[in-house]
Amino acid sequence: MARYGMALDYKNCINCKACEVACKEENGILMGADKHRIWVGVKEIEGEYPFLSIVSSSFEPSQCQHCDDAPCQEVCPTNATYYDENGVVRVNAEKCILCSYCMNACPYDARYVDDRTMTVDKCNFCSDTRLARGETTTACQNTCPTKVRTFGDLDDPNSEISELLRTREHFSLKSHLGTKPKLFYLT
Amino acid sequence: MAETIQQKQSIKEFIATIPFNKIGIKDLLNFEKTPQNMLVAVITLAFLAFFVLGVATYLMHGHHAYNVTREHPWGLLIAVYIFFVVSSTGLCIVGSLGDVFGFKDYEMISKRAIFGSIVTIMAGFAVIAFEIGHPVTMLIYNVLSPGLTSAIWWMGTLYGLYLTFMIIEFVFLLKHNMKMAKFFGLTGLLVGLAAHSNLGGVFGFLNARTISNGVFYPTYFILTAFITGIFIAFIMMGFRYKLEFPENAKVMLTNLAKIQGLLISILIFFVTWKFLTDIYGDMPNRADVAIHILGSWTFWAEVVLAMLIPLFIILKDMGKNLTGMFWASLSGMVGVFFMRYNLVHDTQLKPLQMMKTTEYELAPSWVNYFPSMTEIMISLGGLGLCILLYYVGTKLFNLDADTHH
Ligand code: SF4
Ligand code: SF4
Ligand code: SF4
Repeated sequence: MARYGMALDYKNCINCKACEVACKEENGILMGADKHRIWVGVKEIEGEYPFLSIVSSSFEPSQCQHCDDAPCQEVCPTNATYYDENGVVRVNAEKCILCSYCMNACPYDARYVDDRTMTVDKCNFCSDTRLARGETTTACQNTCPTKVRTFGDLDDPNSEISELLRTREHFSLKSHLGTKPKLFYLT
Repeated sequence: MAETIQQKQSIKEFIATIPFNKIGIKDLLNFEKTPQNMLVAVITLAFLAFFVLGVATYLMHGHHAYNVTREHPWGLLIAVYIFFVVSSTGLCIVGSLGDVFGFKDYEMISKRAIFGSIVTIMAGFAVIAFEIGHPVTMLIYNVLSPGLTSAIWWMGTLYGLYLTFMIIEFVFLLKHNMKMAKFFGLTGLLVGLAAHSNLGGVFGFLNARTISNGVFYPTYFILTAFITGIFIAFIMMGFRYKLEFPENAKVMLTNLAKIQGLLISILIFFVTWKFLTDIYGDMPNRADVAIHILGSWTFWAEVVLAMLIPLFIILKDMGKNLTGMFWASLSGMVGVFFMRYNLVHDTQLKPLQMMKTTEYELAPSWVNYFPSMTEIMISLGGLGLCILLYYVGTKLFNLDADTHH
């Protein structure tokens, strides 16, 4: 089975938010809800006019990191949060008791309560939609105009993402926590 | 076949012979109508009304009736749940002094304390049932797909077991079967301590929350449980004897006050070192949070009400001022409430998105939270429930030590 991950060439992000729209459309995410499944972080320009530091401004798209060692999974009392056969961290809404422990434990603030089901939800790499249909793309990746996102199988040495991670420097977020994120930020 | 019928018979008989007083509504209304008692009665009824109102609001609006957010998913109800289960564990420790560890002086409070531990944990469960989004799902999947790495799973499961053991112990105490009471008491105590330190572990395991992560809470929870148990022991005995304690109660309470003095001193030592280590070295996400906590009035409410006032009263007369201790214990319990509230709130103070390696977002520097009316009503309702159950218990059972052995 695959082990899916995503590489983000985040410096190319132009904050158009097409990915957020595509995710909502593809996965039926609540319209108008902020930071549900996916978001683009904005770092404002520093300094006071006219001494603005243009390089200080940056956009950083983010979502669930699909940690290999996921705190949210460890703390879930009913195993509602689980790793699927593709290494994707998923939530089974049937089993979720809304204890919110995972929301507290996720170091990336990637989880939220879906007001319709009153259970916890987050990005699942389009597992219910695209992956389930046999496609190996995600909506956010597919739509990105500047090709920030590369989605693929980390275990396949020939995949585009493996190639990227071999040839480009990258970092992951809060890696000191031992979560082993599968979202990689290319520098 | 015949055997099972016999077994059923003996179980029936066992239950039928549990000593209790037959009481009706009339007996429940039959208490001395002093102004103090009337005040407690009115407050309890008001709290129960709040409970009904709060629960009704929750049933209509769900979690929207609470002020919990994505950044602050745990609110007042979690704090109140912790408050009640800490009280329960504490009372279990106090109750065990006599009937498990065999300290004769403390036998007179065993039954009362064990009954108290049952009603407090029931009140806790009543409150948490309206915080957990899907309590029925929890009962099912706690069993069908247990999350064995989850401190919440262990805490919940062990507390369920603990309640069972406490009830069995209480029944044996009522029946003067001291041997069995001791056995179930010890088992219950161990399970309760394990459950309680797991509750500390719920916070201690949070790698993402540097302020709470580590061994501190699991051990501190046991210490503060003991302290809470002693506070409640004073309150219960104070009401029982209307502050005019008989000689044996005086001996016991003075000893308890001395133990309390030691425990509170240890607590102050613990908390001081927690803050010193949190702040020392200015580690991001820990030092700043600790300094922020030191600037909040709720922290000082905890320190003054639960630590300084009781310690002062104890040290002043070497624990002999029992009336003073009764009032100090009421202050202590208010302080303990703040202690629980602070623990829950402080854990969530720091927004997590700011802690990413590259700070990319101007998040608010602190996460704000103030409980909603519904949360407050359900919480006070839990207290009302607790007082009511305890009061019914005092009528239903003989909670004093039995004079004949
Ligand atoms: S980013 Fe958060 S929600 Fe996603 S797998 Fe890691 S801990 Fe879980
Ligand atoms: S809120 Fe749901 S998914 Fe999260 S830890 Fe609780 S049961 Fe698991
Ligand atoms: S991978 Fe799919 S579910 Fe996840 S953020 Fe992208 S579009 Fe949404």
